[in-house]
Amino acid sequence: MKKIRLFTAILTAKLTIKILRILKRGGTTLPGKIAMKLCPDILNKIAGSFKVIMVTGTNGKTTTTRIIAQMLKQSGTEFITNKSGANLVSGIITTFIENVSLTGHSKYSTALLEIDEAAFRKVSLSIEPDILVVTNFFRDQLDRYGELYTTLKGVKSGISNFKNTKLVLNADDSLCASLAHDVDKETVYYGISSEAYNAPDEIYNSDAVFCIHCKTKYEYSSRVYGHLGWFSCPNCGYRRPATQITCTSIEELSDSYSILTLDISGKAYKAKVNLPGLYNIYNSLAAAACGYLLNLSNEVIIDAIGSFECGFGRMESIDAGNKAIKLILVKNPTGFDQVISYLKTIKKPSVFAFIINDKLADGTDISWLWDVEFEKLSKMDNILYFFTSGIRAEDMAVRLKYASVDTELIVIEKDYDKLIERALEKTPEGSSLYILPTYTAMLEIRKTLSNRFALKEFWK
Amino acid sequence: MYELNICHLYSDLLNLYGDRGNIIALKKRAEWRGIDVSVTNISIGQNFIPENYDIIFLGGGQDYEQEIIQNDILRSKGSEIKNAIENNKVFLCICGGYQLLGHYYKTHDGKEIEFLGALDLWTTAGNERMIGNIAFQCDVLKTDNYDGVVVGFENHSGKTYLGKDVKPLGKVLCGYGNNGEDGYEGAVYKNVFCSYSHGSLLPKNPQFTDHLISIALKNKYSDFNSLSKLDDTIENAAHDAVLDIILQAAGTKKNK
Repeated sequence: MKKIRLFTAILTAKLTIKILRILKRGGTTLPGKIAMKLCPDILNKIAGSFKVIMVTGTNGKTTTTRIIAQMLKQSGTEFITNKSGANLVSGIITTFIENVSLTGHSKYSTALLEIDEAAFRKVSLSIEPDILVVTNFFRDQLDRYGELYTTLKGVKSGISNFKNTKLVLNADDSLCASLAHDVDKETVYYGISSEAYNAPDEIYNSDAVFCIHCKTKYEYSSRVYGHLGWFSCPNCGYRRPATQITCTSIEELSDSYSILTLDISGKAYKAKVNLPGLYNIYNSLAAAACGYLLNLSNEVIIDAIGSFECGFGRMESIDAGNKAIKLILVKNPTGFDQVISYLKTIKKPSVFAFIINDKLADGTDISWLWDVEFEKLSKMDNILYFFTSGIRAEDMAVRLKYASVDTELIVIEKDYDKLIERALEKTPEGSSLYILPTYTAMLEIRKTLSNRFALKEFWK
Repeated sequence: MYELNICHLYSDLLNLYGDRGNIIALKKRAEWRGIDVSVTNISIGQNFIPENYDIIFLGGGQDYEQEIIQNDILRSKGSEIKNAIENNKVFLCICGGYQLLGHYYKTHDGKEIEFLGALDLWTTAGNERMIGNIAFQCDVLKTDNYDGVVVGFENHSGKTYLGKDVKPLGKVLCGYGNNGEDGYEGAVYKNVFCSYSHGSLLPKNPQFTDHLISIALKNKYSDFNSLSKLDDTIENAAHDAVLDIILQAAGTKKNK
């Protein structure tokens, strides 16, 4: 009887996937929802035979997962993964269903899963991963997830459900590193050494100012961004743990890649990170630590960091004649600030377009825009226009105005077709139009763009 | 030249949901009128001298951070804050900052956490989070050119009730407000303005921002009359767009 139920659930979900794909509707979550209705413990049943790697945290999950995927590919490991950011329980079930037979068996034995940090605790009840990679904890969509500490507690309680899981944690993040506290688990820490980088500017956003254990203000000997850095508590002694995977120096931060020295458990390598920005250095370190635990060769790890393809909407580049459109997803203050640091490296005359939605997946509260340092953009004199679009286009325009962007340069255009047309027209030949959408805006604008230009379908 | 000195109390702790936007709005709108503005951040262990400031801002924090400031605000800055309030100093207090000015916060298990008691109001823990866009009618702000409708976003589970000495800031048009029960939002006492509408309260409600700046300057300069007019096309567009979203959502709810 139980087997029939599993069979029916898998069959129905597989059919749903087929139908949705025919209708060109992506279909990354609905099949999972249906399967769960028909067989509530389906995840437990079909995931049991896999060696599972999970990636969670607030920022950088998708990119970190991408880099690990590249490592697995280069090492010849066949695996399944939830590529398109379908990272809630339903999306994870869909991923498994696509890759198992009707009886629940699979030719693959490894599963690489990006897990939404708020869904993590729920997933932890059904699947125990071999390796859990945690990227960081920053404020993200608070109206959906509640407070940051609630998210952290959720992940912590999820970890307590595991018996043999190995942890990969960000040593520079006092919140992330605290996950190893009081749990007896093999842990690999990654981080940026204090000699490699110390933020030149004053750090504004800070999600963890006070010690998580004793509420005393942390001291920092160096800082990277947000609350990341070499923290130590003068009262209880909690401090940044020593790292096994370390960025020991940063040679170059360009607008399309970074060059750094990567120390993997005592051996130093020169490495190129195939995406720009400090945050992608962290993503690479997290992935390298995972590769290290998987016993992959250091050469494979370094190669993968230098060659991975960027994820859906993470610095995607689209050809528009002799102009380029660059898509960069934005979703929370720290992520947006990192994107702004990147935008500041642009030297050519360019056009920006911000698309801000307030649907559930974006966070219905857009007040986080006021925590982003748009002030830095107003000092760039090579930005010709600042378009704003999406449901909250006007809010974005207000934010830019109060960040001292010249109001003559701010254009509100809510119609996506007209937005692309007008913004491209203003973009000089040989230059780029940078589009910065929130999550649902990304889905929408990709649809508009795919009608005009050649784009990959997002579930591929 | 007029000077406006703004104090952001506990800026490193009470800075949730873009609270900084309120400071930016006050600063910019004063600067655009040629007023010289300074913003001072005062936190735990630092001396707070209200006489040095014209507008004092107290924002919201997560429970974790509010616990940390509890002792500092009660024992070391409390009497200064109370005096300043009685002396008509301009305050803007949002969400957690609003609650802190009241008598107490009653937790789920009936424990009363002592708060400042500067304003005659109190808060009890609720079971539901009150989240969403909010619009409220604020008669204090009403002028010939402005209907006094304020828009914002609320996110709280605490339910706040007002005593007889404080007046509500406005009447809820759509949303929950203070407690989701009596139809009122926020509190006003002397020149203290409290609201659950966080983050981008002032930027989208430029008349509210100007109101606060005006009172502060009137307090300080006997020759101050009124603020010059600014072009608020973008601000008003944002205000109206959100109001449309709120009214539309309310409309569909009713139709169901």
